Amino acid sequence: MFGIRSDLPLKRDTASRFVLWLVMVLVFMASLAVTVNSYIGVLLNDWNRSVTGTLTVQIPLVDGDEKATAAVVAKVIDVLKRHPAVAKAEAVPRAKVTELLKPWLGDNDVIADLPLPALIDVELQADGADAVAAVTASIKTAAPQAVIDDHRIWLSRVMGLAKGFGIVALTIMVLVTSALGLTIVFATRASLAEFAQVIDVLHVVGAKDSYIARQFARRALAQGMLGGLAGLALYAPALALVAWLASRVDPEILPKATLPPTHWLILAGLPLAAGFLAMLTAHVTVRRALSAKV
Amino acid sequence: MALLRKKDDGFVGDTVALEGVGLRYDDGPEILADVSLAIPQRSFHFLTGPSGAGKTSLLSLMYLAKRPTRGGLKIFGEDVTHAPRSRLAAIRRRLGVVFQDFRLLDHMSAFDNVALPLRIAGIAETVVQRNVSELLNWVGLEQFKDAHPIVLSGGQKQRVAIARAVVSRPKLILADEPTGNVDDTIAMRLMQLFVELHKLGASVIIATHNEPLVARFPFPRLHLDDGAVSILPPLAATPASQIAFGL
Ligand SMILES: Nc1ncnc2c1ncn2[C@@H]1O[C@H](COP(=O)(O)OP(=O)(O)OP(=O)(O)O)[C@@H](O)[C@H]1O
Ligand SMILES: [Mg+2]
Repeated sequence: MFGIRSDLPLKRDTASRFVLWLVMVLVFMASLAVTVNSYIGVLLNDWNRSVTGTLTVQIPLVDGDEKATAAVVAKVIDVLKRHPAVAKAEAVPRAKVTELLKPWLGDNDVIADLPLPALIDVELQADGADAVAAVTASIKTAAPQAVIDDHRIWLSRVMGLAKGFGIVALTIMVLVTSALGLTIVFATRASLAEFAQVIDVLHVVGAKDSYIARQFARRALAQGMLGGLAGLALYAPALALVAWLASRVDPEILPKATLPPTHWLILAGLPLAAGFLAMLTAHVTVRRALSAKV
Repeated sequence: MALLRKKDDGFVGDTVALEGVGLRYDDGPEILADVSLAIPQRSFHFLTGPSGAGKTSLLSLMYLAKRPTRGGLKIFGEDVTHAPRSRLAAIRRRLGVVFQDFRLLDHMSAFDNVALPLRIAGIAETVVQRNVSELLNWVGLEQFKDAHPIVLSGGQKQRVAIARAVVSRPKLILADEPTGNVDDTIAMRLMQLFVELHKLGASVIIATHNEPLVARFPFPRLHLDDGAVSILPPLAATPASQIAFGL
């Protein structure tokens, strides 16, 4: 594909700047979609890992009496510790509960005075519906008023949100790909029309369709890659800005996430993919257009 | 002159053979009607006829820019009436065309225009340089080799077009009014080039309105009129070997 001569004055083509610009915009959008999708994926994995195989047991205040409540808590913990499916069970200190609420309620006396329920963190030996059901049953026997949260509903909703983001990202990719393809098709057709006479001459002096198609394909490859690199060049400061803004948000609300190497690989592959797609599209477009000739 | 010497890619029969060929543009009248014609190997013909008779159209069938709307056409013994498009490039590489309107590529120098057929055929650049330079010298354009067609006069463009047509030593040369824009001296020099190539084995067809020029050569005339071709005898009696080109 490289090292062939170019007989067509494609550089003077009117549409080529527009193509470059459009590829840049498309690759920029694609890279943002990839990053958002990856980030959500990483967050989710972290959450998922931290909550699967765990239960949170909530013991409501018994008649507003913290002592009576503590007794119930001790009883439940005792039951849990003797349960074969449980690995660990411990009461969450009040200080930690208030700590968890701080980002939402602020650091003030209101929290200190709030009648808070007691919490027990439970880690199971193994994650599984059977273990969860068995443990839940024994807690209910010991303390019927206990509220047990196995995080599943919460998790499934968050998963649903992530899937939604995934679908949006995929939709953006499909749209970007088809927009890139269509752009190349129309730009190539415009070039073919612009250089119709030159192409006729090339044919008369013995050029094959593939020879002409290669010149368009090579130009499209260059445009795809260049536009793609420009898109990434636009993406880099955008990401840096968002990362900086995110770093200022409390990590309890927006956890720090390290994007995996595959994410960066995909990003680096975008200009290549754009170039390759543009090249193939241009080649097919030219071959199809020329095959309709004599 | 040392033009590119190719391995003799022989073929049997006539260089061009038309069998009951008809040609019409879209829904227009038939420009050519039922033309049967054989152009033997190593022949030389003039193609004459009034303006609009269909000379350019007939040539364009032969250089495969059009296909006959009916009848059969063979070039180099190969049936091109229905040949797949992929076959045509190879056939086109064995023929040279001089267009009435030159059709040079404006974004290239005269040299690159002439070199185009060789480069497309993948000929080594050293050979390209040598052959193109020699040919440009021959047509008297050595000092214009870097000039782009826009700055060339009509006659200069015509000579570049002729050089491009013959640079790859084609077996069939189709020239449409190749001397229409040059003075008599240059016209004779260009004709000498065609005659030399003819002597080296090419079949040559030259469409022209230039009666005096035709009258100086002992070559038969294909005369087109009313969609039909008749073969008329040469106007000159001098054998080709004895033509004085006045150089
Ligand atoms: N592309 C075209 N579409 C429609 N009609 C055409 C086309 N090209 C040529 N014709 C018609 O075909 C006829 C023959 O044209 P052609 O150019 O072959 O004549 P010619 O003998 O070469 O004329 P001249 O001596 O003026 O060059 C003319 O009537 C012309 O109008
Ligand atoms: Mg004509």
